Formats: sequence, structure tokens, C-alpha cells
Amino acid sequence: MKAVTEFFDRSTHSRTGNQLLSSQGRFALLVSIAVLAVAAPIVQMIHPFWLNLMVRMMIFALLALSLDFVFGYAGLLSFGHAAMFGAGGYAAAIVITEVTPHALVVLPIAVVAGVVIAALIGWLSVRARGIYFAMLTLAFAQMFYVVAFTDLPATILDRGSVTGGDNGLYGIGMYELFGIDFTSTLMYFYLTLGLVALSLAIIIRLANSQFGRVLQGIRENEERIEFIGYDVQRYKVVGFAISGGFAGLAGGLYVPFQSVAHPGLLHWMISGELIVMLLLGGMGTLWGPMLGAGLVVLLEEQLAGFASWEIILGGIFVGVVIFAPRGLAGILISLRNDPGSAVENAKQAVRDYLEAVRG
Amino acid sequence: MTTTTTEPNPTEFEGGIVLETNGLTKKFGALTAVDDVSLEIESGTINSIIGPNGAGKTTLFNLFTGKHEPTSGSIKFRGVDIGGRKPHEIVADGIVRSYQITNFFSELTTLENVRLATQARQTGFRPTDFVRHHGSVQEPIDEARRVLERVHLGDVAQRRAANLSYGQRRHLEIAISLAADPDLLLMDEPTAGMSPEETRETVELITEIAEDVTLVLIEHDMEIVMDISDRIAVMNMGSLLARGTPEEIQQDDRVQEAYLGGGDRD
Ligand SMILES: Nc1ncnc2c1ncn2[C@@H]1O[C@H](COP(=O)(O)OP(=O)(O)OP(=O)(O)O)[C@@H](O)[C@H]1O
Ligand SMILES: [Mg+2]
Repeated sequence: MKAVTEFFDRSTHSRTGNQLLSSQGRFALLVSIAVLAVAAPIVQMIHPFWLNLMVRMMIFALLALSLDFVFGYAGLLSFGHAAMFGAGGYAAAIVITEVTPHALVVLPIAVVAGVVIAALIGWLSVRARGIYFAMLTLAFAQMFYVVAFTDLPATILDRGSVTGGDNGLYGIGMYELFGIDFTSTLMYFYLTLGLVALSLAIIIRLANSQFGRVLQGIRENEERIEFIGYDVQRYKVVGFAISGGFAGLAGGLYVPFQSVAHPGLLHWMISGELIVMLLLGGMGTLWGPMLGAGLVVLLEEQLAGFASWEIILGGIFVGVVIFAPRGLAGILISLRNDPGSAVENAKQAVRDYLEAVRG
Repeated sequence: MTTTTTEPNPTEFEGGIVLETNGLTKKFGALTAVDDVSLEIESGTINSIIGPNGAGKTTLFNLFTGKHEPTSGSIKFRGVDIGGRKPHEIVADGIVRSYQITNFFSELTTLENVRLATQARQTGFRPTDFVRHHGSVQEPIDEARRVLERVHLGDVAQRRAANLSYGQRRHLEIAISLAADPDLLLMDEPTAGMSPEETRETVELITEIAEDVTLVLIEHDMEIVMDISDRIAVMNMGSLLARGTPEEIQQDDRVQEAYLGGGDRD
């Protein structure tokens, strides 16, 4: 068991006093993955549609994780992560259709597509800081949206269609790997679960590395980290590119599953939803935003029929900011530290809010 | 035996000039914050910069460390022009600063604050820097602990920096700069806001540091300045008003008039 928990984080104890995951936390992650793995066939039997939903929840959890690595952990306010998601998605769609559906070829290409787009956006944006950085990432991501929407590559390469313009690319085939039938939702579920778990382990590893700690330092105090000898811009670009790789992987998992790649993948609406996922889950904890993503996808599925989804999303956003500024992760952590205080904390949050409103 | 001096002699370098500025000027729009400053810092000495608020002292540090680019003039560190170089390159060269206003990583532990600085010298973008757990790379941790002991913060290594007392924060501020292993350390008002007891302790620390690091201090406390400095530079409205030993500065009429307020010291 120990060897398996170490898969996520090898720190036996906190030598430097800031730990990303306690041993309990690591254990909880493993249990969650095991529960998901065991629950899948049961869900499949009871209600196959729910399994489909769970796959989408996990893909968005991966996307939220990739964003949190830069947004929450390194303090790089990316408002354009949809660009890398879309890049991975389109790359997968094109390679599957034109070259091969072999997962071990396509998925790495989706990752590389995410890395390349992120490196480009990052390199162009890191000269600006804070909200200006955010605006630049948003603007560049929207440019990629327009590129996909108007099928600019087709015009440049003088071909009929590359991105399929506003219609997107339809009928994308399914992955092939070791003869497994991924058209079975259950098999695709396991592929996704495996890759999401692996990604989480890698990102936790990165966050705990010396490189990762510099990113954390940049979030805490960008000026000081520069003046103790770090090339901040380079760290930011590299961190952003790594994050983009995981966003690309999420895109590469999403597109064949939906069998369509469309410009909507790159739309700022996705980037915006991602930020709500981070806020709801608890920024900078890495696992929190994954929970947040799952919950947002679930709510969208369940509630979008009743009212405009944008309004619900806005409502969640406001609610979290006011009542749970540290998100689901914050609630869970304080519950673990002091289970009895939950009700009191909730009351306090409401009191604080009312006081703030009264002025 | 012949006593040729053709080969560079390390002891000779010890007494040499580490930092030299020539006509150094920095303008912010219409305001000239640093105005045609030419000075040299000798290796192994304690130098103080004094002057009224807004004289341009901090701006001078910002120029030395690459935060601002000079509008004109040059800065040479060990004979090499560093004007326009990036802050992290200048740190690697050996110039490090501490801050007037405490400026660290308040959510991280005291140890982690210092470890980030010791780590900077040996980490980069090698594959191992991405995969090895930061807690398993021993050297920067050991070194950070040594620095913390030196500034008497060993006991609070695991405390969150935000929870340190004021005096401890000021010491942490110095520790972070020390951990970056400077040859030339620029300290911006290291004793500002301290109690007499804390001040005494800090001055002790500063003289200890000066044993192997060249120091430039910005300091308002005249008693400290006169006591520990080898050389003093007086700034006023961006310009260098006077330079010299503490005795020379005390006897300089212009300084007395402009800054020390006319001979209330003996
Ligand atoms: N980044 C900046 N932009 C515009 N003006 C600046 C900037 N930095 C400093 N100044 C101005 O330059 C002048 C010199 O400021 P500086 O901070 O160097 O003074 P100082 O000698 O350190 O003063 P103090 O003793 O109060 O710390 C001031 O008038 C200040 O307002
Ligand atoms: Mg100042």
C-alpha cells in the first residue's frame, strides 16, 4: 500500500514545512480512485448514461487540474486555458482521421499540441503581470478560437478544410490500443481514469520539485523570487507550457469521446467555467479544483434544462466567493481539522456576509 | 626572490574596487531620482548611504540590482558593466539586496523562505530539478538551516513567516539575502523600526556579516552609521553631496547644513 501512496507523493514527512498532501490526503486520493474504478461497472449496469457523465467529469477534472497548476499554484492568472484544451482536441481529431487512431500516437500529439500553444501564449504574455497577463491570455485564446472558427489553416494551406470552420470536425473515430474496444464507455472510463490519476501524480510531483517550489514562490512574491536569483519569466513560460500539455491531454480525451471537435472547445466560456471550477474547488490545492470541475459538470447536466446555465454558473461563482472563499477543499480541510466546527463556521460565514452587506 | 606584481594577486583584489558607478542617473519622467552619481565601493568595507527621505537611496539600490535601468551613466561590478542586466543575472554575479519594507514569502515557513534562496544557486531546468522532491535535496536545506542559525531564527524554522515578530521578520529579511550568497550585500534600512535591543543585535549581526561580505547600508540612525562605517556617502535630492570617512563627513560643513542639522553632535 505504501508503494502505491508513494505513487502520488513521496514526501514521508514535511521537511520544509509546507506539504501539498498529508499522508491522509494521499490515502484519500487512492481510495477515491479505487471507488471510482469499482463503481464504474455498477453504474454501467444501473444507468449507462451516468457513466458517460462521469467520463466527462473526469476529463474536466484533468483540465481544471492543469489550470490550477499555473493559476492556483503558481499565481499565473490564465484566462485562456480553453486554447490548449481545443488545441489538444483538434490535434487528436485530425490525427485520428488522417493518420492513425493509435492512442499511444494520438495522445502524445495532443499533449504536444497543448505544450506548443501554451508555450506560445505564455511566451507572448509573461512580460505582463497580474490582470494584464490574464487579459493577454484571454485575447490570444480568442484568436485561436477565431482561427478555428474561420478555418484559417485551410486558407493558408490552400486545402478544403482543416478545422472544419464553425461546424467543426464530425465523426471522429475512437482510439485503438491493444485491441481494447474503447467504444465501450466502460473501457473509455478506465482509460480516462488511468490517465487522470497519472496526470495528478505527475503534477503533484512537479509541484513538490524544486522547480515547483519556485513557481509557488512566484505566486507568493514575484519580485522577491526574482531578486534572489530566479529567471521568473522563464519559469513562468515553462510552467505554463507544462500546464498546457495536460490541458491538451484533456482535449485529446474529450474529442474522440464526443466524436466531434468544434470551435466551442476554444471559446472563452470554457476558460470562464474553468475558473469557476477552481474557485468552487479551492484554488492551489490541485485536488480541490478537480472536485469543483466534477461538480460543475454534474450541475450543468442536471440544471441546464431549468434555467440559463450562465445564470446558474454566475450564482455558484457569487455564492462561493461570499460563503466559501477557500472552496470545497477549504471546507473539507476545516472539517478534517475540527469536525464539530462545521455548523459554527457556516453560521459565521453568513454573519460575516450580512455584516459586510450592512456596512 | 623577485617581487614581480605581474600576476593578479588575490589579496590585492581584496582591497580593490568591487562596484564603481560613473555619472549614474535615473529619471522618472520629470523627476531625477538619482543625479550624476559617481562612486566606488571598496572590497571588504562597510559603506553607508545617508540622506533625507526621497534622496534617491533606494533608487540607487534598484539600479545596482537591475530593477531599474540607468537613464545614463554606468555601473561596473568587478570591472564589468552590469547596467541593463537582468536582476537574476546580477544576483548570480554576486550582488544581493535586502528590503526596506519586509518583502518575503509570508505564507511559507521561515525555513522555506531561506531555502528558496539557497536553492537558487544550484537549481535550474535540469530533468532532476523537475522530478526530485525538494525535501530530498539535502544541501539547500542544510545551508538554509546554517543561515537561520546565524541570524538566530533556528528555533522558528518551521513557523509560518507571517507569524514572526517584527524583529524576527527583519532578521528573516536579512537571512534571505544572505542565503543568496552575496559578495556585495545592499541592505536597505536594516534597523528601521526596531527597539534599541533589537537594533543592537542587528548591528552585531551586520558587523559579523561584514567579515566576509562587502556591505552597503542605507541607514538613518547616525550613531550606527558613524560607528560601523568605513566610508559614508551623503545623498540629497538625487545627488551625491559628500563622500568620506565618518570623521570627514562629521566635519563637512555642507553635510552639517543639509542633513545633520548643524553640529548638534560632537
Ligand atoms: N518607480 C518610481 N517611479 C517614480 N518615482 C519614483 C520611483 N521610485 C522612486 N521614485 C521617486 O524617486 C525619489 C527617490 O526615492 P527613493 O525611494 O530612492 O528615496 P530614498 O532616499 O530611499 O527615501 P527614503 O529614505 O524615504 O526611503 C522619490 O521622490 C520617489 O518618489
Ligand atoms: Mg528608501
